[in-house]
Amino acid sequence: MAEYDEKEQKLTIKLVYYGPALSGKTTNLMSLHDQIDPQLSGDLMTMETKNDRTLFFDLLPIGIRAASGLLIKFKLFTVPGQVAHDGTRKAVLSRADGVVFVADSQSNQKINNGESFQNLADNAKRVGLDFESLPLVVQFNKRDLPNIVSEEEIKERWGRTNWHLYFSTATKGEGVKETFETLLALVYQDMERRFKLKTEHGLQEKDFILSVMSSSEMQV
Amino acid sequence: MRIIPQNQFDRDYDINDLLKGINQKRLLPALKNLLGQSVRLLDSKDNLILGNAEKTKELKRIPLTVQIEPVAYLESEDEVALKNVAMLLEQLFKSSERYLMASDLHLESVHADYEKLQKKHEALLASETKFKELAENLEQRVQEQVKTIDAAQRQLYQAEKLASVGQLAAGVAHEINNPVGFIRSNLSTADDYVKNITQFSSQFNSGLDLEALTRYWQDNDLDFTLEDFSVLLKESIEGADRVKKIVADLKDFSNVDGAEVSISNLSEVLRSVCNVASSQIAEKAELELDLKDLPDTRCEAGHLGQVFLNMIQNAAQAIKNEKGKINVSSAFIDDDMVIKISDNGCGMSAENIERIFDPFYTTQEVGSGTGLGLTVSKDIVNSHEGRIEVESQEGKGTTFIITLPVKG
Repeated sequence: MAEYDEKEQKLTIKLVYYGPALSGKTTNLMSLHDQIDPQLSGDLMTMETKNDRTLFFDLLPIGIRAASGLLIKFKLFTVPGQVAHDGTRKAVLSRADGVVFVADSQSNQKINNGESFQNLADNAKRVGLDFESLPLVVQFNKRDLPNIVSEEEIKERWGRTNWHLYFSTATKGEGVKETFETLLALVYQDMERRFKLKTEHGLQEKDFILSVMSSSEMQV
Repeated sequence: MRIIPQNQFDRDYDINDLLKGINQKRLLPALKNLLGQSVRLLDSKDNLILGNAEKTKELKRIPLTVQIEPVAYLESEDEVALKNVAMLLEQLFKSSERYLMASDLHLESVHADYEKLQKKHEALLASETKFKELAENLEQRVQEQVKTIDAAQRQLYQAEKLASVGQLAAGVAHEINNPVGFIRSNLSTADDYVKNITQFSSQFNSGLDLEALTRYWQDNDLDFTLEDFSVLLKESIEGADRVKKIVADLKDFSNVDGAEVSISNLSEVLRSVCNVASSQIAEKAELELDLKDLPDTRCEAGHLGQVFLNMIQNAAQAIKNEKGKINVSSAFIDDDMVIKISDNGCGMSAENIERIFDPFYTTQEVGSGTGLGLTVSKDIVNSHEGRIEVESQEGKGTTFIITLPVKG
């Protein structure tokens, strides 16, 4: 549900990190905040309660400017993972343009992952998102822990789906950027189709991604 | 262009949103103290929010950024102080934004829950309406079912009646067959006699003399013919009377079609029933009658006759081995008519006694009775405001006692 304000030349894109409680959604955002270097970067707003649990959401605002002068503003949200906060989770998911599903790799979290993914599909439907066409990347986090489900098993289970699959250790910053880059690529294709980013705003996919990830390396 | 509702928590908050909850009357003097009298706060489109409308001198300008875009501009002469104050205001606005987003998100999710509840409520109302309709229909359908059951029950009662009458029919047919048989035989003989007399008549008309006629008369033993003819006719009349009586008895109580109320004498009804039943039960039991005078009473005699027949048939069925006795008595005791039907048959267990008036309960083999005989009997007696009691001992016999009030 990207918001395009023609008069202000502003496109707002909402991206949501979804997943079961304590799977590392907030850690993903914090790590991303540390690792990427977008043209415009805001402060990470977190709303954690005690025990590292997100009560409402976290928000990382970042932005890039296309050659045409168009400001593309990304709002990266996390949802509260706890089952009880489903109303909040649904409201945060509303109007999302892309989703990273952060799963917990630990063997004892299989059921939670499955239920949370089902909850994502259900809530997407409830808030009017087309789950089939929604840009979605699946990330299996906490690869550094013992007692995790093997990559083979995860690939066996998730590899046959259409969704891109990544393995990560967000606390060490591993796999976080790759996950996000892939989501950006999927979102670009969607936005290009809807708002003609290439022809009307002179914005190629690689520039779109690069200006978010490491703008200082860009040859402008 | 899509219209964006203002309550979405993830929208961009402007300076007016962010200043809510901040006392602007106190903010402006504070800003003036920090940045001097010339301080101005403008929104992202350069509209004045706080401070002097006119710029009196050249001012430094700094954007106040909350996410990645300026939400306001702050102007003042003192560049160093401006930076510090801008930093403070940004922190204040971020805190304000945090609060606004959380509260709007809360409202949004509560509103969504509320909508969900409303939808549920509507769904409940719809299903309530549906159930109401169902309930109303149910009442109607139950009534229809009751009608069907009533009709079926009436048919069963009718069937039970017909079954009793059917059993009777066999006995009655035998009873009627006997006189009809000898009446038929007598009439056949009488026909021969008439032929004989007709032949004599033709002899007579052919002009034979008296002597020849006398010889003919004697040769053909016409004296005997006339004598026997008379006897035959007399016997036949008696036979016809017997049939007439049987039919009358049968008609008295097997009034299948109508529950006609009449003034009747129950001893007479009992007598008719016994007459009709006697041939049917003759092989199994001897019927003893001890009928006292009873006052006439207004009743459905046909129905009560059916009850008595039923009792007598039951009594006969209870007699299994050697020929038994069935005693039928009537008496007028304490202004009530008391009719007893006793047998010396097999009797019933206490358990059976409890259930004999239940519909479809039968101790007979399947197919030999509807199991409704006593149920129907009890209904009929009850409808006459009377009662049926039963006394029974296994191996000794059973007595049914029907007590009925006299009706004028």
